[in-house]
Amino acid sequence: MKKLIYAVFIITGIVACEMIELPESKVSREPIFNSDNGLKLYTNSFYETFPDAPALYTNSYYIAVNSVIKYFTENGFSAEESSGWNWGTLRNINYFIVNNNDESVPLDVRNNYQGIARFFRAYFYFGMMQRFGDLPWIDHPLDVKDELLYSGRDSRTLIAEKIKEDLDFAIANIKEKKDNTSSTITSSVAAAFKSRVCLWEGTFRKYQTSYGLQSSASQWLQEAVTAAEYVMNSGYSIYTGDGPELSYRKLFISSKPVSNEVLYAVTFSTEQGIVHSGNRRYTSVTYGSSPAPTRSFVNTYLTLDGTPFTEIDGYETKSFTEECQNRDYRLSQTVRTPGFTRISGGQKVRTAPNYAYAITGYHISKFTLDDVQFDNVDVCDNNAILFRYAEVLLNYAEAKAELGTLTDADWSKTIGVLRARAGITGGLNTKPTVADPYLQERFFPEITNPEILEIRRERAIELSFEGFSWPDICRWKVGELVTELWDGIYIPELDVPYDMDSDGKLDVCFTKNLNPVKVPGVFYLYVGEKLASGATNNVQLDDATQSLVFMKDQIRTWHDKLYFYPVPANDLVKNPTLGQNPGW
Amino acid sequence: MKKTDLNGTEIEKVPAKHFLLMMKMLFFLLITTTLFSVAHAAQQKKTLSGTIADSSGEPLVGASIVEKGTTNGTLTNLNGMFSLQVEENAVIQVSYIGYLAQEINTAGRTSVNITLQEDTRSLEEVVVVGYGTQKKANLTGAVDQVGDDVFNGRPMPNVTQGLQGVIPNLAISLADGKPSRSASYQIRGTTSIGQGGSALVMIDGVEGDPAMLNPNDIASISILKDASSAAIYGARGAFGVVLITTKNPEKGHTSVTYSGSVVMKSPTQVPDMVTDANLYATMFVEAYSSYYDYARTPSTFHKAVPYNADWHKEMANRPPGSGKPEVEIGPNGNYQYFANNNWYDMLYKDRSFGNEHNIAIQGGTDRADFILSARYYTQDGVFRYNSDDYSMMNLRAKGSAQIFDWLKVENNVAITQSNYFNPLTVADGNVWYGLESEAEPMSPMFNPDGTLTMAAAYSVGDMWYGKSGINSKKMLVHNTTSFTASFWDDAFRLRGDISFRNPYNRETTKRVPVPYSPAPGVTAYLGSSTNDFGEANTSTNYMATNIYGEYENTFAGAHYFKGMLGFNYEQSIINSIFTRRNGLIFVDVNNINLTNGSGITINASHEKWRIAGGFFRFNYGFKDRYLLEVNGRLDGSTKFPVDQQWGFFPSISAGWRLSEEPFWNLDNIFSDVKLRASYGSLGVGNIASYTFQELFTISTMNRLIQETRNQKTSVPPVLPDGLTWETSTTANLGLDFGVLDGRLRFTGDIYTRKTNDMFAVGIDLPATFGATPPKGNYADMKTNGWEITLSWRDDYKLANKPFSYDVRVTLADYTSKIVKYTNPEMELGGYWDARVNYYEGMTLGEIWGYETEGFFTSDEDVANHASQKLYYASNSGKWLPGDIKFKDLNNDEVIDYGTNKVNDSGDRKIIGNTTPRYTYSFNLGANWNNIFISAFLQGVGKQDWWPGTDNALFWGQYNRPYNNIPKSMLGNIWSEDNPDAYFPRYRGYVALQSSRELAVTQTRYLQNVAYIRLKNLQVGYNLPKNLVSSVRMQNARIYMSAENLWGWSPLYKITKNFDFGSIYGTDIEQANAVSSSGIANGSQVYNYPIMKSISFGVSVTF
Repeated sequence: MKKLIYAVFIITGIVACEMIELPESKVSREPIFNSDNGLKLYTNSFYETFPDAPALYTNSYYIAVNSVIKYFTENGFSAEESSGWNWGTLRNINYFIVNNNDESVPLDVRNNYQGIARFFRAYFYFGMMQRFGDLPWIDHPLDVKDELLYSGRDSRTLIAEKIKEDLDFAIANIKEKKDNTSSTITSSVAAAFKSRVCLWEGTFRKYQTSYGLQSSASQWLQEAVTAAEYVMNSGYSIYTGDGPELSYRKLFISSKPVSNEVLYAVTFSTEQGIVHSGNRRYTSVTYGSSPAPTRSFVNTYLTLDGTPFTEIDGYETKSFTEECQNRDYRLSQTVRTPGFTRISGGQKVRTAPNYAYAITGYHISKFTLDDVQFDNVDVCDNNAILFRYAEVLLNYAEAKAELGTLTDADWSKTIGVLRARAGITGGLNTKPTVADPYLQERFFPEITNPEILEIRRERAIELSFEGFSWPDICRWKVGELVTELWDGIYIPELDVPYDMDSDGKLDVCFTKNLNPVKVPGVFYLYVGEKLASGATNNVQLDDATQSLVFMKDQIRTWHDKLYFYPVPANDLVKNPTLGQNPGW
Repeated sequence: MKKTDLNGTEIEKVPAKHFLLMMKMLFFLLITTTLFSVAHAAQQKKTLSGTIADSSGEPLVGASIVEKGTTNGTLTNLNGMFSLQVEENAVIQVSYIGYLAQEINTAGRTSVNITLQEDTRSLEEVVVVGYGTQKKANLTGAVDQVGDDVFNGRPMPNVTQGLQGVIPNLAISLADGKPSRSASYQIRGTTSIGQGGSALVMIDGVEGDPAMLNPNDIASISILKDASSAAIYGARGAFGVVLITTKNPEKGHTSVTYSGSVVMKSPTQVPDMVTDANLYATMFVEAYSSYYDYARTPSTFHKAVPYNADWHKEMANRPPGSGKPEVEIGPNGNYQYFANNNWYDMLYKDRSFGNEHNIAIQGGTDRADFILSARYYTQDGVFRYNSDDYSMMNLRAKGSAQIFDWLKVENNVAITQSNYFNPLTVADGNVWYGLESEAEPMSPMFNPDGTLTMAAAYSVGDMWYGKSGINSKKMLVHNTTSFTASFWDDAFRLRGDISFRNPYNRETTKRVPVPYSPAPGVTAYLGSSTNDFGEANTSTNYMATNIYGEYENTFAGAHYFKGMLGFNYEQSIINSIFTRRNGLIFVDVNNINLTNGSGITINASHEKWRIAGGFFRFNYGFKDRYLLEVNGRLDGSTKFPVDQQWGFFPSISAGWRLSEEPFWNLDNIFSDVKLRASYGSLGVGNIASYTFQELFTISTMNRLIQETRNQKTSVPPVLPDGLTWETSTTANLGLDFGVLDGRLRFTGDIYTRKTNDMFAVGIDLPATFGATPPKGNYADMKTNGWEITLSWRDDYKLANKPFSYDVRVTLADYTSKIVKYTNPEMELGGYWDARVNYYEGMTLGEIWGYETEGFFTSDEDVANHASQKLYYASNSGKWLPGDIKFKDLNNDEVIDYGTNKVNDSGDRKIIGNTTPRYTYSFNLGANWNNIFISAFLQGVGKQDWWPGTDNALFWGQYNRPYNNIPKSMLGNIWSEDNPDAYFPRYRGYVALQSSRELAVTQTRYLQNVAYIRLKNLQVGYNLPKNLVSSVRMQNARIYMSAENLWGWSPLYKITKNFDFGSIYGTDIEQANAVSSSGIANGSQVYNYPIMKSISFGVSVTF
């Protein structure tokens, strides 16, 4: 019976219809990998690795934020809470790398896209390596039964070598050297990245001495120099078109990248509906963590003649208005200083820091569009820079300084250029010879080399809030810096209203009086120790220094294990051979 | 001829009325033909006349009167009267389907008045089965059927919502109470943990969408539960089949029926939150600072409102009813708010209204007939602003023509259109989420100048502004043309049909930024990145055709034989295109042409599948005692690779009617005793098309490269590890019997179902795999279950009027166990939430968690207790009295999860199960003196629910300190004075993520969500016949009907902030339309409320 039925219906079925259907709205592998266009289509997906809005960085040695950083709280963080062990990005890249071998596409075209893919693999691995240290090296999309799935981690040094290999390939094979929209990966971007990676690795090996890799440090530093030189010969320059008072900030508030300095930026367009809420992050007390520079850091901005502000007698007791005079123009382009204006209703309006936001008294302005109408709206379209020429110069200078090969000429074409843009007139052509005691005492007591100290100063100032400080902490091995008190502006007198934007109107008054008699229009900031409820006040006036301190009672602690995150416990359960990072 | 005054009181209680009518018509036709042919033979006659009525005195139309031993007979007319020439001493046999036949000796009488008793045993009841019908008595499979009584007088947005809870072991899980909400039908529990799969729903023999059906058109619904009865549908019937049959015209009779109703709706539960802003703020500060070890104070509530002590002090002076202004200008020039606002009052109307009109016209002769029905249903939305109005129009025309004596042609066309407007909030997830996290009570809706506050713009204000929403229009055109040819005295029948079904959906989505004002004269916007208009069009071209022949005969008076053989072919082409463009030229734009931005998205998709199948059924019956049925189907589907395309799925079932045995002498007590058994195996073809092909998806990027939005593609999903049919094998044992002359009837089934080779995700691979692990035919599962239906119907005289009543009770249960799974280590997966990996031996629905021992009572208690270092109640991980204390089950001095495997789970254990157990229903009906009353209750006997981590309606500020506070929580929070409270020490952020004390699945807060619900209550009155006929009506009735009037669950002891019916999931439409950034983990209960309603209706037939 069964056979009969089979026979009847198979015949009927097959005669009636060939039972195969192919999709019409999707394609198979071949058309993707057999044309220039198809390869481009695929590599476009790699760009989604980059953030889709400007990031806000909080783990730093000079930024105060309005919430506790759990990572730095004693026992506040554990492997259970760790995250980031995500490998989907890599699979996407590896699938491309393995399958990009269709010979109907000319080799140079294939290699161009292979270069882009390998850049992104390096970018992925570098991020993972900075976070977790040792990692499994995976260069192909894994099969379910691949033994790599359950193998342990390769050493961090192997990963570093692999990253360098990928970048070397990218630099050699990506055809485009400079993109005038600064929105594609070119060989210059790959080289800039390589200088970042190699500097990180070289200094990590030099300062993280417990790994015993000091001997190979200089080799990496040398590679950083070479990579930087590649970019320095690619036609980029430091943008000065808007004068010392605006050129620096212009980079961050432009919609289209300032392409002679910016190598790569994530770009936005109001017109195309691709926008972000950047302004809000830097103006709204109810959105984000209100990052603010500490006064210790603001102190490091030089005066216009190129001498340290901290050499001035009584610099500690200078009021906000006083300390902002005659300083490196990047200060007034990074935070609101007296005279700062915004646009409201088409009119320029002098604007003081918002002390509800500016938890140290300094209010970031670097990334904020001038017009207040953007503040509460998700329509900002200023670019989010990921690679810019200034960093390459800083990488170059630092690598050379660490190698001990920095010359006056090197100084003048790197730090000199950057300081000149910021309106600094002195010390542009000769490298420093005296270590700045303030920098050394407050930040880097282990460093005696004046070149290195000055380059670190420059790096923090030039690249402030751009996401470099946490990687710098790790490679310099200066984790203890995150435990420093978050200090703020000096307050000459309590209960006296001040004019902070020099517009002739009083703006703010600091008081320890819970019920002050208020002058209309003045923002009263209570800086006493306890609130009426008995709870501790976040913003207090430190009696000894007469300056603001923020969240004095929240103790941040440092342990060397924090240089690398723990492998998330859940992932360790799935593959115990991964092993946990030391100390976790 | 038969007529429809049977729509009156009595017949309503008879299941499958219309099938009875069909059979009556057939019977009638046969009889009349026979009668006319022999009418002349009679001699020496008297004229006998009389009336035939049912027990309530209603005349029976078309009852048959036959002179015993002859073929002489007639039928009653419209008034139940007849007249017949009979022999002087004739005995007449009076019969009527559904009633007990009577024999009456007419000697010496010329007139008789006969009352027929209803045959409560309903042995002649006909049940719709796959490709045909069958007498219930001869059924051997597990088939359940309900009639249109389930829907009568219940105005409902769609059929699915009305069918919930009606049939034992038919689960319909509606995510919420949205009028457009439909759901899949699950028969007998979890079907497959692989591709899943729900019951196949057939409408008049063609796969269809019950949500687009006019409830008034339904004549009956059959549920084919076991493999044997569903096998005829092959691969798609593996998890049961729901057969919906629409009403057929009643031959030879013309009528017009109008029914209409008005309905009033309101949410069953509205969250009751603290509206006293000072209390709210005080608790906020407490929750906030306690999480930070009491060392921090907040500077803002959340995004909408900053916090400072000055404001708080002032707020204390403005309790509800203080009469002081709600809005002031603060020191920085911004508005400051001092309201005590009840936001849910702003969100919902107190009540909303709807109405329904339905008209059905039918008529015909014995050569041709037709039925035409039309319905208009409309319902206002529940929201006070930007109301979610819903409407549906249905039209159905069905007719047949007897072309030749042997050939009948039928056509059935249905056109449906439904419209629903789904308002959206664009700022931060759905409106309920916005209310919870941004709409704090101190914020009023409006500023003094009439602009919105920011809190409002995050939630209700967006709806007041009223620009954003989804307009969805669904249209359906369906046509089936069929023929029936019968030969050899109807012993062989050939049927064929072809259907076209073209659903077309158009959905437009508009997202407009909401203006609000933070300070006088300042306008700002929320949700500005979504200033766009999108349109999605999906069209389906579905075609199905069947041809099958059936031969039926009885040999030698004992051997009944029926055989059927047929062929089925179906194909479906689904095309959709979605376009979206930004830059609305002005905010009231309603067409994509009026946008001018350059952010343009276009996505299209295409799917085509075809299936072909040959099927057969063979029935054999010996003396109605021994019944045997064999079904089989050979199925082919384009969804599988060529070498796996065809599968053959046979089944067998048998029945033994003990009470037909000569030895059976218990007929007075137990009657109609039947044992049934069935066994069968079905393939599950329920996978997505193209699954086995490596395909690249091309889509528009949401970012810019070289100033343009490019297309991109990326790595295709990992191909499945082999792909073949899942199989589902069911063994079913059933018992039917009647007691006390059939007044009590019992039907019970017990079954076991094995779902093998389930196409499931392989083991949870390490993250380095970088993709969702591929699926394969990896897993086996076994489901055991049972269901019983017990019904009682009886009548007696009450105050000289017949009183009839009936009770139907159903009870069902099942459990599923994983028999095989690719998880050899038996790893449990996530250890901080309710998700668990499958493993061999697992009972589906298991919840793993810790046992909550109680609260810490002192610092010594904390010190002496096992270490809870993996978890924390505050930022620093320091535990205090009043915090949660987990039980150290394995006494290893640490609360942990071992290696997170089944056999090494540390202190975790199985603490509950999410599977609904013991689902039950009660149907109660009574009828007296034209008054009828019915009640339908349904519920679940046992079920657990973990409220999840981001469920602010449950956790209040334990979730996030700025959340609104459920009023039910007040007084139930731990303090030194209240150590036995339900909730622990007041802390924010602890019911939020991974390892915080209340985010951890644990016994104390596991909720018992068993429930009982009064789903429907009806009271009605049939206007007396004489009154009605005086205005030329055949019948008329008025009724009141209430849905979801009452419900109770143990959950309500803790909170009444949500209906137990809507605890699953978040608002799907909103989540799809606007990315809900705030909602990422855990289970959220931010969705449309379940509605209760009261309606008043009238139904008249002319």
